[in-house]
Amino acid sequence: MISVQDLTYTYPGATGPSLSGLSLTVPAGQVCAVIGANGAGKSTLCHALTGFIPHFFRGTLQGGLRVADLSIPDTPLAELAGTIGLVFQNPFNQITGARFSVLEEVAFGLENLGIPREEILDRCRSALELTGLQGLADRSPYDLSGGQMQRLAIASMLAMRPRVLVLDEPTSQLDPAGTEAVFLHLRQLASTGQTTVLLAEHKLEWVAAFADRVLVLSAGSLAADGPPRQVLGSGDLERAGLRSSRYTLVARRAQELGLASAAPLPVTLEQAVEFLT
Amino acid sequence: MARMRQDFGTLTLVMIPVAIAINIAVGQLIYSLKIPLYLDSIGTVLVGVLAGPWAGALTGLLANLIWGLSGLNVAYAPFAAVAAVIGLMAGLFGEGGWLRRWWKVILAGLLTGLVAAAISAPISAYVFGGVTGSGQDVLVAMFRGMGLGILPASFGQGVTSDPLDKMVTYLLVWLIVRGLPSRFKARFPRAGGVV
Amino acid sequence: MSQGFSLYLARDSGLHRLHPLTKLSLAATLLVAAFALPGPWSSYAVFLLVLLPLAAWGKILPGFLRSVARSVLPFAISLFLIQGLLWPGGSPVAWLGPLSLKAEGLAFALASTGRILMIVSSFLLLALSTRPDLLMIALAQRGFPSTLSYIVVTTIQIVPYFQGKARAILDAQRSRGLETEGGVRRRLRALLPLVVPLVLSSILDIEERAIALEARAFGRRGTKTSLQVLPDSRAQSVLRWAILALAPLLLVAGLVL
Repeated sequence: MISVQDLTYTYPGATGPSLSGLSLTVPAGQVCAVIGANGAGKSTLCHALTGFIPHFFRGTLQGGLRVADLSIPDTPLAELAGTIGLVFQNPFNQITGARFSVLEEVAFGLENLGIPREEILDRCRSALELTGLQGLADRSPYDLSGGQMQRLAIASMLAMRPRVLVLDEPTSQLDPAGTEAVFLHLRQLASTGQTTVLLAEHKLEWVAAFADRVLVLSAGSLAADGPPRQVLGSGDLERAGLRSSRYTLVARRAQELGLASAAPLPVTLEQAVEFLT
Repeated sequence: MARMRQDFGTLTLVMIPVAIAINIAVGQLIYSLKIPLYLDSIGTVLVGVLAGPWAGALTGLLANLIWGLSGLNVAYAPFAAVAAVIGLMAGLFGEGGWLRRWWKVILAGLLTGLVAAAISAPISAYVFGGVTGSGQDVLVAMFRGMGLGILPASFGQGVTSDPLDKMVTYLLVWLIVRGLPSRFKARFPRAGGVV
Repeated sequence: MSQGFSLYLARDSGLHRLHPLTKLSLAATLLVAAFALPGPWSSYAVFLLVLLPLAAWGKILPGFLRSVARSVLPFAISLFLIQGLLWPGGSPVAWLGPLSLKAEGLAFALASTGRILMIVSSFLLLALSTRPDLLMIALAQRGFPSTLSYIVVTTIQIVPYFQGKARAILDAQRSRGLETEGGVRRRLRALLPLVVPLVLSSILDIEERAIALEARAFGRRGTKTSLQVLPDSRAQSVLRWAILALAPLLLVAGLVL
């Protein structure tokens, strides 16, 4: 689904590349998390996978970049929309403003794609149910809380049924309940096998619980790639400028004090409980 | 090149509602602070300077129509043509590099204000019988009391308030554009003529 | 349901059920009539005989009268006072202390107020009874560029957000000691720390909003479909053409009579 080969990208007017020699293959139906310190290139990667790099931001792009069987540099942005989706951090900016109700806002993308009216209604209703917004269908999008707006942004993307959905820190402005809801939806979406999810995140505990695979970005290249327990429990995180989750830190300390075995370190609460007993 | 035109289009398009909202938000803030200016065209001038005369004209036109027809302040709607000209002139001044020197900025504002007053006067005279329905009517009363006709009195009122208002507007836009991140300015080829 | 800052009042009425373009045609023709009809009394007649009954039919009469009064009164007051009292070389009709009301001035004020009344009330009737987004969709279905609809509807919805932002910046600066009362010069100096941060912080949103719009396939060429279906009828279509045809007739009548 995602095939990146030796990708190097430099923003216009920048002194150095933001992505260097990045190679990555993500199969269909996987929930892949990308973590990294600020400035490591997470947003740049998200924009590259969705075509905004190079089409919107311009700059110099080298290497292979194929997403959902489309060559990103050779396909115009308007053709990528619908097949590849992007959700980002700021909920307010993702509400187009062009429609007066939540239902119509979700339908907006489908209207642009020329989907027949009956199908639009079906898809919107299921997208709203998936994100728990069905009771708010007639509300104004601007009458929603930040968390609801973000779920609306996700619903609007879901309705378009993208084969690849990229999310750039979608939960940073959400509370824990909202964050859990988002992660559950994404898990559910990927489990159908129809959609690949790539998620740039800071919240390591959630990543540990929901992702199939974790990529660590450091200064524009891939520093680690593997299952959550392996990547998040290792020392790779600190080398990439990140802090391990508190479960891992506690367990590591316990190990140092000789209070626990040399088993792989836990990255979630359940694993930590298991590890320490 | 085609790519640039396309994303330049979406970026400009998205900027226009924000610019109009700024017009309205600032205009109302100024009114509530009882500052003796309008400052209702900052967004229009900004779009003109960044995206060119036609984008500026469209912004001005729609700003006034929306402001007026929304009922928030009906007086704005008939002056949509004036607002369009303000946006157009801002675009021309921007392209002409007038915003590179502070004194040219003030001059651009002065000229825009004079043209605005000149075009507003006949509209005010014909549609509103020469009055503005606001505190500015003190000026109208003064000119009428001096024996001036309806059109000259309207023009007198306009010429007393518009040039100063536009000079302050242009100065604020100049400061704003100087404060914009260069990466953002680089997306507007015309903004190269600014700072 | 807050819908930005549009005046729209939702009601279950025949007027509301009319196709948006029918109401727009009416407003357009009344606009022409405001300038074409002769004499001051015709405007008041149209207001009483056409606009008020329509507002009543639309069940928006109180809101309609309130909005009309709020918009027209400032002009009416200025007109009667300024043009009435200060008409150069006019023939006095009544005395207010040392000042006199002139006949020509009063006649002018009457005619101008009538015209303003007619223009303002016809568009207020349209605004109060028509959802702006449906009006834009109706226009888009007739070939109006979607970019213009996008601008109008989006502006209506985001203005309150920017008004809130302006207020928040005002409060924040005041708590940092910004002086916004007092002399004119002090108030003018307050402008910079209010306006510049508002605009700069808003500009940074623009790039993200453009990306969001592209991600929703807004830039796609090719036919687009529409979720909203606006009820229309042959009768309304005929009515629209009839109303619009009145406009040139009124113009001619106004020139001839």
